[in-house]
Amino acid sequence: MISFRSITKSYDGLTVIRNLDLEIAKGEFCVLIGASGSGKSTILKMINRLVEHTSGEIRFAGAEIRSFRPEIIRRRMGYAIQSVGLFPHWTIEDNIATVPRLLGWDEARIDGRIGELLTLLDMDAARFRKAYPHQLSGGQQQRIGVARALAADPDVLLMDEPFGALDPITRDGLQTEIRRIHAETGKTIVFVTHDMDEALKLATRVVVLDKGEIVQAATPRDLLNAPANAFVRDFLGKDDYGLKLLLVERVGDHMRRGEISNGCGTISETDNLRNALSRLVTLKGDRLSVIDRAGQATGTLHLVDMVS
Amino acid sequence: MNADPAKAEPQLQSALRRLCLAAAAFGLLLAALPFSRPVFAWLFPQLERPLYQQHDFLDLVLAHLGLVAASSACAVVIGVGAGIYVTRPSGSEFRKLAETLTAMGQTFPPVAVLALSVPVIGFGFWPAFGALVLYGILPICENTMAGLDGTPQAARQAGEGLGMSGRDVLTKIELPLAAPVIVAGIRTSVTINISTAAIASTVGAVSLGSPIIIGLNGNNTAYVLQGALLVTGLALVVDLGFEALMARLQRWKRG
Repeated sequence: MISFRSITKSYDGLTVIRNLDLEIAKGEFCVLIGASGSGKSTILKMINRLVEHTSGEIRFAGAEIRSFRPEIIRRRMGYAIQSVGLFPHWTIEDNIATVPRLLGWDEARIDGRIGELLTLLDMDAARFRKAYPHQLSGGQQQRIGVARALAADPDVLLMDEPFGALDPITRDGLQTEIRRIHAETGKTIVFVTHDMDEALKLATRVVVLDKGEIVQAATPRDLLNAPANAFVRDFLGKDDYGLKLLLVERVGDHMRRGEISNGCGTISETDNLRNALSRLVTLKGDRLSVIDRAGQATGTLHLVDMVS
Repeated sequence: MNADPAKAEPQLQSALRRLCLAAAAFGLLLAALPFSRPVFAWLFPQLERPLYQQHDFLDLVLAHLGLVAASSACAVVIGVGAGIYVTRPSGSEFRKLAETLTAMGQTFPPVAVLALSVPVIGFGFWPAFGALVLYGILPICENTMAGLDGTPQAARQAGEGLGMSGRDVLTKIELPLAAPVIVAGIRTSVTINISTAAIASTVGAVSLGSPIIIGLNGNNTAYVLQGALLVTGLALVVDLGFEALMARLQRWKRG
C-alpha cells in the first residue's frame, strides 16, 4: 500500500531520516515508535506530503506520491493528530463532513455517513450532531477527530500520537475502539506513538526508530521475544517486561473453551492477559469467566494457564 | 451542554434590540431637527439664525455616511488584504514593515493626516477621502494580522492535513475564526473615520462637520450643537451595528 525506498530527509543539511526502506502492506496496523527526534512523525507526514522527502521514492497505491497533488492525496488518507484540531466554529457534524464536502459528496450521503460514524465511535448522534467542539470533553473531541479522519472512507488512516494528550482511562477506551475499528474495517493504519504499551497493544507490526533509522520492525510478539539489540530491550522496559508479554496475548488463546464457571469475575475474549491478570489480582481469584461480545459465557481463564 | 440556538443567542438579540432603538432615536432626531427652530431660539436667544439651513440635514447625514462608507470600504479591502498577505509564507518578509507602519501611523493624529493631504491633493472631497482611507487602514491591518495569528494552529494543521487547499484553510478556517478580531479593528477604524469625516469639512468636504465648522467660525453655538448631535448619534448607531455583528460572529462560542 505504502512503500518507502531509500528515503532521506534533511533540513538545511541536517539529516533526520537516513536511507529508510519500509513497506506497509494493505490492512496493516503499523505503529512507528521512538523517542522524540527519532523521525517517527516526519515519516508519517511524508506519506501525505505535509513534509516533502529530500531523496528516494515513496509510493502509494502503486504511484510515486509526488505524482498526486498534495490535496488529492490527503483526501484519500484520513489524518488525526494529538491536538485534534477540530474546527471550533463548526458543529460536530460539519467537522465530520469536512473531507466528504471537499470531495463533493451530496448532502444526503454525507448525512448518512455522519450517522454511521457517530455510531461506530459510540457517540449519541442526537446529542452531539449540532454541538460545538468546546462543549465536548477531550476524549469525545478525539473520537470526533477519528470520525472526521474516517469520514470519506479513506484507504489509509494516518494518526500522529492521537491519544497522547488524554488521561489513561480515556486513552484505554479509545485504544480499544481503534483496535475494533481496524478489525471491522480492515483499514491500513499508520500510527505514531512514544508509548510502548500502546504500540504493543495496537500494532500488527511495530517499527522501532532511533535517530532516523529503523532499529527493528516486527510483530509485537516477535519484538518482545527477540529484541534486535540493547536499544530495543531498553525501550521495552525491564521491570514490567513480563507484563508487556501478557499485553500481546489474547484471553481467547489461553482460555479453556466450554468450561463454564460461575461466581467469579468476567473478562472479554478479545481482551489481553495483562488486563486479565489485573482483574484476578483485584478480585483475589484464580479464574475468570470468559465472555464473548454478546456477553455470553464461552469458557474459563485459569491463572495457571496464563504463563504456560 | 446546550445546543438550543434560541437560548444561545441572548447577547445577539439584546444587541439587535439596542441597535433598533438607537436607529429609531436617530431617525426621530433627524426628522425633528428641521422643525426645531423654536427650541434653539429659546436656548440661544442672542442668535439671529439659531437653525442651520445652508444644507438639508438629511443630505449632510448622507454625505457624511457616503464619505465614511467609501473610505472605510477602501480601507477594509487594503487593510485586510495587506494583513492576509503578510501572514502568508509568500509575504512574510513584509511582516515587520507592516507592523512598524501600522504602529507608527497610529501615533499620528488623524487631523495631521488630513492637513498633510491638502497640499498633495487640494481641497474638497478627495483629500478628505484619501486621508480617511490612509488612516483607516492602520487598525484594520493591525487587527487582521493579530486575528490570523490567533487562530488555533491545530485547526490550521488539521485543515491542511485533511486536504484543504491554502485558500480553503484561509477562507473556511482562518478568516471566520479571526473575524471577531478583524471586525473589532474595522469598528475602531470606522468610529475614527466618522469623527474625522466631521473635521474633513475644514478641507472643503461636505459632511456633518459643516455646521460645526461654520458655527465655530461664526460664533453660532447652535449650529455646533446641531452638527455634534447628529455626528454623535450616527457614531452611536454605527457602533451598535458593529456590536450586533460581533455578537453574530461569535455565536458558536456560546451554549
